[in-house]
Amino acid sequence: MLVQALGKIGQTLVVLFIVSIATFGLLKLAPGDPVQIMLGSEYSQEAYESLTAEMGLDRSFLVQYADWAINFVQGDWGTSFVARTDIFTYGFKEALPVTLTLAFFSLSFAILIGVPLGVLSAVKKDTAFDAGSAVFALTGTAFPSFLLGILLIWFFGVRLGWFPVMGYVSPWEEFWTGIYHMILPGLTLSTYFIAMITRLTRASLIEVLEEPYIAAARARGEPSWRVIWVHGVRNIAMPLVTILGLQLGTLLQGTVLTETVFNLPGIGQMLTSAVLGREYGVVQAGVIMTALLFIGVNLLVDLSYPILDPRLRDRK
Amino acid sequence: MTETDHKKILAERLSARFGRRAILKGMGAGIVAATAGGSFPSIARAQQSGHLKIASIKVIDTLDPHFTGFLSAIQIINNIHNGLLKIVYDGENVTFEPDLAETWDLEDDKTHVFKLREGVRFHDGTPCDAEAVKFSLLRVKEGEPKSPHAWKLALLDEIEIVDPLTLKLHFSQPYAFLPVALNGSTGRAGTIVSPAAVEKYGTDYGRNPVGTGPFKFVSWRENDAIELEANTEYFEPDMPKLEKVTFVLMNEASTALAALMSGQIDGMTDCPMQLVDQVEAFPKANLYGEIEGNYTFLGMNCKKGPFTDMNLRKAVAWALDRETLVKQAYFGRAQQAYTPISPPMTAFFDPDIATSGRGQWFDLEKAKEFRAKAEEQGEIEVTYMMAERGPVGTRVAQTIAPMLAEIGIKVNLELIEPATWVKRRNEGDFDLYDFEWVADLDPDETIYPEFKSDGAWNFCGWENAEFDELCKQAQVILDSEERKELYYKAEDLLMEEAPIGIMAHMPIYKVFSDKVQGFQYIPADLVNLHTVSLA
Repeated sequence: MLVQALGKIGQTLVVLFIVSIATFGLLKLAPGDPVQIMLGSEYSQEAYESLTAEMGLDRSFLVQYADWAINFVQGDWGTSFVARTDIFTYGFKEALPVTLTLAFFSLSFAILIGVPLGVLSAVKKDTAFDAGSAVFALTGTAFPSFLLGILLIWFFGVRLGWFPVMGYVSPWEEFWTGIYHMILPGLTLSTYFIAMITRLTRASLIEVLEEPYIAAARARGEPSWRVIWVHGVRNIAMPLVTILGLQLGTLLQGTVLTETVFNLPGIGQMLTSAVLGREYGVVQAGVIMTALLFIGVNLLVDLSYPILDPRLRDRK
Repeated sequence: MTETDHKKILAERLSARFGRRAILKGMGAGIVAATAGGSFPSIARAQQSGHLKIASIKVIDTLDPHFTGFLSAIQIINNIHNGLLKIVYDGENVTFEPDLAETWDLEDDKTHVFKLREGVRFHDGTPCDAEAVKFSLLRVKEGEPKSPHAWKLALLDEIEIVDPLTLKLHFSQPYAFLPVALNGSTGRAGTIVSPAAVEKYGTDYGRNPVGTGPFKFVSWRENDAIELEANTEYFEPDMPKLEKVTFVLMNEASTALAALMSGQIDGMTDCPMQLVDQVEAFPKANLYGEIEGNYTFLGMNCKKGPFTDMNLRKAVAWALDRETLVKQAYFGRAQQAYTPISPPMTAFFDPDIATSGRGQWFDLEKAKEFRAKAEEQGEIEVTYMMAERGPVGTRVAQTIAPMLAEIGIKVNLELIEPATWVKRRNEGDFDLYDFEWVADLDPDETIYPEFKSDGAWNFCGWENAEFDELCKQAQVILDSEERKELYYKAEDLLMEEAPIGIMAHMPIYKVFSDKVQGFQYIPADLVNLHTVSLA
């Protein structure tokens, strides 16, 4: 067990190293110069040189990387070039919670809407409802999320005035206001996942419902809801959780557009503006946090297997 | 040099001042009367009230006036700080007036005397006196790290403190550009910052600005919002009106517009031209915007490639159909430009420029004549670099490409990402690119740093000694008429040799909901909120 854990940690560190040096290198290779960007159009060569030196950008690539990595590991994430923000505060304390909240709500929507819809489609296989849900799922996967976001904004925000069209309020501080602000972005980001989960639930459940233990449960005279929701759905939990873990990357990608459209100050927006402004330190922090998040969630998925499937518990 | 009556010129510049004060007082009274007559209980109104939320669409780099390169930052900085002078607009003329100064005089043509207001304090409680002003000016001129705006005060020889409220600025030569240098374009070289705060925060001053302005800085959350609150000790009477101001930092203008229409925010510091139709159709918003001090142009590389050939450049300059450009690229909102000097520079702009015969305009026959004189007579292939940047993105490039096909130039449009675009422009790695110089108030800043030989912003690499000389002469002449003649000559050279094909002067828009009252529009892309109140 200990060996396994150590192996996992080692693996994580290697991944983080590769991710960080690759991002750093790619950003450096990309043309564009943070000093030029931050000086705007009016500056002198002197100002340019003094700033380049001040930001340490006149040093070699490896020195810059090593300097960054050593400080980062020690918890000093540095300050951004232009706005002089403390990157730890900006990235970890301000942006990360926003993205986590958005991801949490989208996943919740996806599960709360996708699973029941999938179950109903499976149970009512080959009916009009099933066909309707298939069309919905196909549309959901095919519809670009930013377009959906804009449509939702104009319809529910501007035309009907039901929901706020932008901004973030932390649901952990102001619960209802926070949720209220999360409904449109959450729906926008989750549409793809609702559709995916609907289809996945349907397909897996149809298969499970043909298993002998379902027939046995029915034969025992258990009520139909119990047969489906307990015996059936429990047995599709594992593929569902696995897919959700793997699709987290897609979800995080989606946050970039969703955060831009709804003006949420999360990691997606942070990364976009940082890449455009060549804010090396901010990009690094964002990428590392995203990588950690991805690794962390997949670790949770691994750990959840024994809980979801008792047969995996006693293997020693 | 002939004797100039600089007192007279100064008097002219200051003439608008007292008129404006009267107007302001009248407006203030109007608002109070309207409130008292409304359904509000008349005593319930505190001196400051209301929380204005306004979307800021573009980049805010820093709130340090001496280091910013962005107008969107100036819009906020100007609400926190004051300058020695300020820009005033009466609906017709743009003038410069004393701001922190009570009076501004010329002792002789090289010595400017500023007498400061008494009792003004920074938000941190320290006094804003002659020492503080000297500190700020020196910070721009020779501070470390170097301010990108240091060049504006390069001619400043000595700052003499006469008494705690009086300063004399000695210049090495007459400096007509001074008011613009102090207030002009991006970065306010004449903005006064708290010396105590600079000492305390060092390079982090831009995150912790402390000025004398109508609003105090409260907080800045990245990609989210910048919060200001009223400075109850502000020196202009009965101002500010608002209790709190939030600049909501947004990337997506269409979302900002949706937020405005649904009442989530009260205004936008900038409204892109493509959204103006929608704003005009929305009854509960007021649009502010006029043609400002700017010009857009097609830049040609004079250092390498096919456009080292002047005849080819002239062919391009005359082949640009400005009417079509204004319609297709600028949504019909811009005004055709003939030369760089723009309408708000009222002392210099010629309202009859279209018929004056000066400048460049669309004349395909003429373009073809120049094309026939070019060295290369076969089809020429050029690279036009474009990026999703600026007010209209890639629209200009796409509109121009077919126009140049008419004169045998095949344009390869190359779409690159903005940071790369900036780098390549600065390194002169292009054949064609389009750009705009914005928020200029004076002919000097609108053509001289942009086109002087070897100038840092002269990306086209055009060189003309006569042009340099004319601009240099104009800098030290205080008489507007005389200056105008020199700038016209310089402009004529520029348009004649055509390192650029000039295109348009653009309007810059701001939007406020109809709840917002008292906004004073200034055609220098400013969003000064001290007179604004919420109904």
